[in-house]
Formats: sequence, structure tokens, C-alpha cells
Amino acid sequence: MSANSWLATGNFHTTYQQEQKTFFTSLDRSVFSFFLLLLFVWPLLFPLSNKYMLVVDNILVAIVAVMGLNLVTGFAGLISIGHAAFVGIGAYTVASFCRTMGDSHIIVTHFWPVLIVISGLVGAGFGALVGLPALRLKHLYLAIATLSFQMIFQWVINFMSFFNQGQTIHVGRVFWLTGKVGRTDHYFFWYYIILVVVVLLGFGVRNLLKTRYGRCLVAVRDNDRAADAMGMNPGLTKVYAFALAGFFAGVAGALHAYLYRGVGFESFTLHESVSYLAMAIVGGLGTLNGSFWGPVAIKFLDLQVEHLAEIAGQYLPSSMNLATALKPFTFGLVIVLFLMFEPRGIANWWRIAKSYTKLWPFRY
Amino acid sequence: MSYFFQIVVSGIVVGSIYALAALGLVLVYKSSRVANFAHGQIIAAGAFITFFLTVNVGVPILFSFLASMIITFFLAMSVERIFLRRLIGEPIISVIMVTIGLASIIDGLIFITPFGTENFSFPHFLPQTPLSLGGVSISWTQLVGVIITFILIGAFSWFFKKSTIGISMRAVSDDQFGAMSVGISVPRVFGLAWATAGLSAAAAGCIIGNITGLNFETLQAFGIIVFPVVILGGLDSILGAVVAGIIMGLIQQFASGYLDGNFGLNGTGDVMPYIILLIILLFKPHGLFGVHEIERV
Repeated sequence: MSANSWLATGNFHTTYQQEQKTFFTSLDRSVFSFFLLLLFVWPLLFPLSNKYMLVVDNILVAIVAVMGLNLVTGFAGLISIGHAAFVGIGAYTVASFCRTMGDSHIIVTHFWPVLIVISGLVGAGFGALVGLPALRLKHLYLAIATLSFQMIFQWVINFMSFFNQGQTIHVGRVFWLTGKVGRTDHYFFWYYIILVVVVLLGFGVRNLLKTRYGRCLVAVRDNDRAADAMGMNPGLTKVYAFALAGFFAGVAGALHAYLYRGVGFESFTLHESVSYLAMAIVGGLGTLNGSFWGPVAIKFLDLQVEHLAEIAGQYLPSSMNLATALKPFTFGLVIVLFLMFEPRGIANWWRIAKSYTKLWPFRY
Repeated sequence: MSYFFQIVVSGIVVGSIYALAALGLVLVYKSSRVANFAHGQIIAAGAFITFFLTVNVGVPILFSFLASMIITFFLAMSVERIFLRRLIGEPIISVIMVTIGLASIIDGLIFITPFGTENFSFPHFLPQTPLSLGGVSISWTQLVGVIITFILIGAFSWFFKKSTIGISMRAVSDDQFGAMSVGISVPRVFGLAWATAGLSAAAAGCIIGNITGLNFETLQAFGIIVFPVVILGGLDSILGAVVAGIIMGLIQQFASGYLDGNFGLNGTGDVMPYIILLIILLFKPHGLFGVHEIERV
């Protein structure tokens, strides 16, 4: 490490341990700790209404899912157009517990952390299963394989009466140390739970990328033949990547189920898969902080478009359904513009800003 | 037995439409290696333009059919010029996502018009009584639709085999550098491939719209269902698209004709193509007629 523990002016690592560190400088650590503290404290200082708290919670759930998608699509370079199906598998794991044991069974309401982990594991299992074609397929073919998994998932949910034919399956209210989490505290409570999950998984991803396996992922993405020649197992790495993505998605799905206190088919359609992909791309593929920027940007955009459509709806004839038209239009436009002008996503802006402040007042 | 033949007939009707819809996807993939996820939206747009011209403007249907083909020809060409030309050489995820984004944009544009939410049906211009032969019946719309489809597929095949543009398209799909060195403008060929794909999509849209009525959801779903078809046929084979389209139509009709309601199953016609798609991808990823280019990892 450089002599100055507050400012890093370059890479001065002399041992592997130094490179494995999560924070390179004290400034890094203090800024991060302050930011984390802020995330935990702000809901106490500025209590939001339930409607907006739900939006915030939604963003956090999407962050969990997109972190998984970023592992498989960003770091391993395998396109997955079926991520919402994995999220759905997590959610329907919780739902099937509710269906078999009743939605207020003690396992559902008291042991929900266990259920969330179980959902993640089930998601990981399905992820590995869907990842098996990755042993043989690449690029477009793999994308279409995941697409077909998405369609099969949708059909199974719509068809099986065990899953209520895709209609909402109710999930009971959970208990915390202080007792049942009531209507007023519900979104508030889940904000903290999901935030803790996001922080844990975020550190997990961050550390994963510094392990042998994480470096395997990137190596396989960049050139799988070279990776093979260097003694890695590209096929197994890809299957692992899908399993990991499945785990993240499963956890996100279980959180989604608890947050909405119900599981319905419409949250896990092809459209949702596409919007997870869009979040990953807008945030920045292959970057960890991109998985945070992307969902925030896309959900915020959604909210603003809704507002705009509401305002415009007052001046336009009611026959023109502007809200349904504006949403896909802006969504598509944002994806296309980002891909055309900033393919590295918002994370790139962050990188530019960071290097600018680091070097100021010099250009380079 | 007539039930069996009825299913065969309807399978061929559905299958030939799949073939026509898949043709456009194959064209674009063959020349520029882009999988177009906005194909369903172009199909829908073609159908809506035809309907608008026929009903609201009052053009005879044959002319509006041709007019919508010409309009989508230029529409698809400009889409390629504006959005995809910049992405030549970008990673495949960018290209796929741009077409998905385009699909979303076209969705938005269609939702502004009444076509997005309401259902319409074409005015009848053919005899209403279905043609029946030995217990097997086929409506005139379906019959004419299939005939037009086969004429169009024949025309496209001729276009690729014989015309200069078709030959240059095949040259580009074989070897881009080789094509450049003999004086073919590769970007122009990409544009033309998109344009012909748009043209065939509009034709498919019109025929589907005439047979099933105009519903945005159904029309757009064709853009996804063509993926199993093109994978079965091989992503870069026109003959494959036609054969696989008909096979897929037959499979779908047989599945919904014989499986639905028998083993407690329902809606198998919708899921069967994707199950077959997965099986094909696992065991024969280049499809029936595709070029063997898949590498083992």
C-alpha cells in the first residue's frame, strides 16, 4: 500500500493480501461506512408513505436479482433472457410452502430467514439445470435456451392448479422479535431486511470476484479456450455461474413474495426478464456498482413516466391511453440510447467521476 | 380419421404462416448475424397498416397488402440504418438488447394507436362457407392465405437463388471480407436484408390478421414463437425455416388436438415448441439444415 493511507494514487500492491483487501484506502472505507449508515438511518429521519416505501423496497429486491444476473451475464458473459423465471422459482418456493402448510403456518411466519435461504438454494438448483445447455451452447443459442426456459416456466405456473393457475397465492405476515409485523411497519421492516441482504450479498459478490472462481468467470468470458488451456474448466464455471445467478434470483424471489405478501404470475413474465437485463445494461454489465445503479435508474424512470402520463392524461382525451404507451416507449428508448452511446452503463460515469476527483486539478 | 386429417390441414395452415414469419428472422440472421427480437412487432405493424389502409382509407385489400409491404420495407430499412448500423461488431448482448429495446419502442408507438388495446377484424372479402372435402374443412381465408404464403416463399427463394441482390446477400453471409473484395457494399446488404425481412413480416402479419383477427398480443407473440422454428430449421437456412415452420405447426396442432384434456393437460400447443427447442438445442443445436458452427466448450 502506498505511504498515504487516505489517497491512492496508483497500484502499489506488493503482496496478494493487499490486493485481496475490500477497501484500498481509509477514505474508501470511511465514505462507504458513512454511506451505509445513511442508508440505514434515512427512513427514520424522513419517513416515506407506504407507496414510496414500496418503490424503495422494490428497487432493493431488483438489486438482489440484478446482482445475480450481472454475475452470469456481466462477469461470465452468458446471456440469460430467463432471469425472471429464476426469481419466480424463488417466489413460488415460498408459495408452495404456503400452499402445502397454509399461509400462516409457523414455518412461513417465524422461520422466514430459513425459507429465504431455501428459496435461494432451489433457485440455484434450477439455475444449474438451466445452465447445463451452456456446456454446449454459446451466445445466441444460449440466450434462446434461457428464453425457452422462461416460456416453459410461465406455462407450468399457468397450468398447474397447485400454483393457483398463476393467480395470487397469499403469504402470511411474518413475526419479528417484537411480535407480528403489522400493516404500518410492513414496508419499513422489509426495507431493513432487504437492505441487510443486499449488503451481505454485495460483499459476497465483491469477495467472490477476488477468489479463484471469480477470476475464472472473467477469464472464461474473455476467452474460454485460453481459460481452458490455463487449466480452468469453462463448462463447469458456466454451470456454476448459472447456479449462483439462480441463488441470487431465488433470494430475490422469496423477498418479493414476502414483501408483496403474495405471489402472482404477472411479476415473473418475459417482460420482467427483459427489464432485469435492461437494468443490468443501464447500470453497467460486469461491474458490481452497476447492479446498484441500474435498478435505481430504471425504477425511478418508471415512476417519473407514470407521473408524466398522469399529468398529460389530464389534458388529453381519455381514449388515448398514454400511460401504457409511454412506459414501453421510454423503456425501449433508454435501453437503445444507452447501448448506442454509453454501452458501459452508469457505472462508467461513476468511474469517470471518481478518476476525475482523484486526479484533480491535473488532467491525468 | 377425419379428425386426424383436420389437424393435419390446420397444422399446415399454421405452419406455413410460421414459415413465412420465420423467413424474415432467418434473412436478417443469415446476412448480419443479428437475432431480431422485434420481429413480432414488425409483423403486427404490417397487419395494422394493412387494416388501416383497407378500412379507414378504403383502398382495395390487395393494394393495401402491397402498400403495407412497401411501407414496412422502408421502415425496417430505416430501423437498420438508424439503430443497428452503429452496432456492427459490438458484442452479441448489445445487439440482442437493442432489438429488444426496439421491440419495446414499437410497442409504445402501437399502444398510442387504438390497435394496441382493441381488437379488430378484417372485413370479409372471400366466401364465408368453408370448403369441405371428405369431412375435412378449410375456410377460404385460410386456403388463400396458404396459397399466398407459398407463392411468397417461392418468390423469396427465387430472389435468393437468381437475383443479383439475393446473390450478394448470400455472398455476405458466406464471407464478409470476400464479399467486400468483389465490390459488394456490406452495410447496404444488411439494410436490404432488414428491408426484405420487414416485407415478409408485413405479408405474414396480413395473412395472420385475416385468419385470426387483429389482436396485438397474438400478433406480437409470433415474434417469439418463430425462435423455436428457426432453431429447429437451422438459424441460417431458408429451406430449414420453411420445413421447420410446417413441422412446428403440425406439432403444435397435434399437441393441442390429442394431448389437451387427455392427461389433465392444457394448453400444450403453447409450450410444445419450447420443449422441442430445448431438446434440439441440447442434441442438435445447428438444427435440421443449419451450418455446423457450434463449438464445444
